[in-house]
Amino acid sequence: MTHQEVNLYFAGVDIGSTMTKVVLTDKAGNLLSFIKGPTGAEHRRLANEVMRQALEEARLHIDDISYVVATGYGRLNVPFADRQITELSCHARGVSSLFPGARTAIDIGGQDAKCLRIDNGRLASFVMNDKCAAGTGRFLEVTASALSIRLEDMGDISLKATRRVPISNLCTIFAQQEVVALLSRGEKLENILAGLHDALASRVAALARRLGIEPELVLTGGVAKNIGMVKAMKESLGCEILVPKEPLLTGALGAAILAKETYKKAPAAGEALPTKSRRLEKATFFNQEYR
Amino acid sequence: MSGKNKGLSKAREIYLNRSQRARELKAAGKKIIGYPCVYVPLEMLTALDLVPYQTCGDMKEPVTEADRALPHAFCPIMRNCLHCALKGKNDFLEGMVTIHSCDPQEKTARVWESYTKYPYFHFIDMPITVRPEAVEYFKGQLDDFRKTLEVFTGKKLSKDRLEVATKSHNRQRALVTELYELTKSSPPLISGTEIVQVVKALTSLPVAEGNDLLIETISEVKKRTAGPEKKSARLLIWSSTLDDTDIMQVFEAKANVVMNESCGGVRAYRGEVKLTADPLEGLADYYLNEITCARTFRQATLGETRKDYARDLQSRFGYLKGTIKDWRINGVVMLLVRYCDPFAFEMPSLKDYLNSIGIPSTYIEYDYTTGALAPMRTRVEAFIETISR
Repeated sequence: MTHQEVNLYFAGVDIGSTMTKVVLTDKAGNLLSFIKGPTGAEHRRLANEVMRQALEEARLHIDDISYVVATGYGRLNVPFADRQITELSCHARGVSSLFPGARTAIDIGGQDAKCLRIDNGRLASFVMNDKCAAGTGRFLEVTASALSIRLEDMGDISLKATRRVPISNLCTIFAQQEVVALLSRGEKLENILAGLHDALASRVAALARRLGIEPELVLTGGVAKNIGMVKAMKESLGCEILVPKEPLLTGALGAAILAKETYKKAPAAGEALPTKSRRLEKATFFNQEYR
Repeated sequence: MSGKNKGLSKAREIYLNRSQRARELKAAGKKIIGYPCVYVPLEMLTALDLVPYQTCGDMKEPVTEADRALPHAFCPIMRNCLHCALKGKNDFLEGMVTIHSCDPQEKTARVWESYTKYPYFHFIDMPITVRPEAVEYFKGQLDDFRKTLEVFTGKKLSKDRLEVATKSHNRQRALVTELYELTKSSPPLISGTEIVQVVKALTSLPVAEGNDLLIETISEVKKRTAGPEKKSARLLIWSSTLDDTDIMQVFEAKANVVMNESCGGVRAYRGEVKLTADPLEGLADYYLNEITCARTFRQATLGETRKDYARDLQSRFGYLKGTIKDWRINGVVMLLVRYCDPFAFEMPSLKDYLNSIGIPSTYIEYDYTTGALAPMRTRVEAFIETISR
C-alpha cells in the first residue's frame, strides 16, 4: 500500500436553504469534522469559508481531500466540488449509514419536506412537498417569530401543554394570523405550540403516507431537533421514530460517503475520475452568467 | 422568410419569435386564425387558405391581465394564453377557433370571445368519450364549423380542397414521426430541446412551410456529427403541455428526453387522418380517437358488465408500451400542470400501468412559469439518480 492510499479523505458539502453543512471523513468513513453555519445569500457565495473551517478543525489541507460531493439547493454554488448529487440521494445514503435498518426517512428542512424510501442503502423513491412553506421548517420559524419565542425553545415549551389547540390553517401566513388571534384570546402559549406541531406533523405524515411507510423510520433535518415535533410525528404516524444525534448532518454525511464510493468505484470500472481544481474559490452568483 | 437560416437554426429562430412569419403573411394579405388547443382540426382552415396559428402562452411572462377575467386557482396555461391575448400579442389574428377539449378551455373561450373582437370566432363542442355516438355528434359539430368558415371566407369547403389539405397535414404527421425516429439511437441524434423548438415552429407556420422545415431539419440531423451528448437516462415525459426549452433543459441537464408525450411534442402528430367518403368523418374519428390526451375518457369494457382494471389500463395506456420498448426508455416523468384535473386524475392509473410493465416513474408538478426551477431540478435529478445506477 502506498503512502497516498493510506491517507484518503472525503468531503460532503450540503448547502441547504437555511443551513450549510460540511462533513469530512477518512477512507474508513470516520467523521473527522463537521461544521454547520447559516446559509444566507452571502454565505452561499462562501462555501469555501465553511470548508476552510472544517479543514482547520480536521487539521487537513484542501489538497488532502480526494473527492468532494456537493448537495442541497446550493450544490451548484460549490466551485471546488467534483460532483453534484441531490440531497435526496445523499440523505438516503447518510441515514442508512447511521441506521442500517432504516427503510423510510423523513427530512424536514427550512424550505421543504421530503420523504424517502431506502432500499439497499440507496434512495429507491421519494415524495416532496409542493412549492409552499406549509409542512416545512419555515412554518415553525415564522410562527416562533410571531409568538416572540426562540425557535429552539418551541419543543420544550410545547411539552407542558394541557391541551392541543387545533390550528386549522396550513398556510404559513394564515397560520401566523391564527396563532396571534389565539394568543390575544388568552389561549396558553404551550397549548398553541402543541397545536402547531400537530398541524405540521399531520401535513408531513400525509405526505409520507402517499409514499408508504416501512420501518425503521428516521427523522432528520433541523425540525428533528424539536422534541415537540418528534412527539407529534410519532402520534401522527403511529410508529417509532429514530433521530440521529446530529439530524442536520445526514445530507452532508451521505455526500461524503458517496464521494468515497464514487472515488473507489471509478478505477475499479477502469474509468479516469475527473476532479476539479482544489482551490478554495469564492463563488458568486454573477461570475458565470454575466462576465 | 426573413433569414437564410435552414433546419434547426430556422426552427430556433421561429421559436424565439413565433409571430414573425404570421405578421409577414398578414401583411401579404393572408388571414391568420388562432387556436389554443391541438384538438382543432387545422385541415379545415388550411383547406380555405386560412393560416392556423397556435396561441400559446409564454412562460416568461408574469400573468397579470388574466386576473381581470379568470380566477387564480385555474389552469395556468389558459391564464397565460389569455394574458398574452389581452396584452395584444396576437393582434394580427383575423379570428379564433376554440374547442371544449377541457373545461378551462371552454370557460376561457367565452372570456376570450367577449374581451377580444376578432372578425371571426367559432367554438367547437367536443364530446369526452369515444363511443360511436360521440364520434357522430362530433362530426355534426365539425359540420357547424364548416358552415361558419364558409360564411367567413365566402368560399365553399369542397371535398377536394379538404382532401388536399388533409394530405398536407398527414404529411406533416409522417414527417414528425420520422423526426422522432432520430431519437431512437443512443445518444439520440436530436435533443428534446431541439424538438420543442421544431414543434413550436410548426404551430406558427402554414402547413406547407412547416413541412419544408421538417424536411430540412431531418436531413440536417441525419448528417450531423455533433448531436446531443449521451446522458445517464432516457426519459419519456408525459404531460399536458411541455413546450418550453427552459423546462426541457431541467430534464436534459442529466438525461436524454427521447419522447415528449405532450402537446409540445408528439401528441398531435401520431397516425393519420383517414380519407373517408365524407371527409368530416375521417377528421372526427382522428381527433377524437387518435389524439391521446387525458381529457378523453377511454374505457375498455364499454357495454360489458365485468370490469377488468388491467384491461382498462391496457386500453388507456397500451400505446406507450411499444414506444418505451423501441426507444429504450428507462424512466417516465409525469409532469403535471397545476390545477389540471384531467391529467392529475389520470396519473395514478398511468403509474399503475407503468408499474405493471416494470418502468420506474415519478410525478412532478409545475405551474407553467420559469420562476423557481431549483425545486423542480432537484426532483428531476433525484429521480434520474434512482434509475441510472
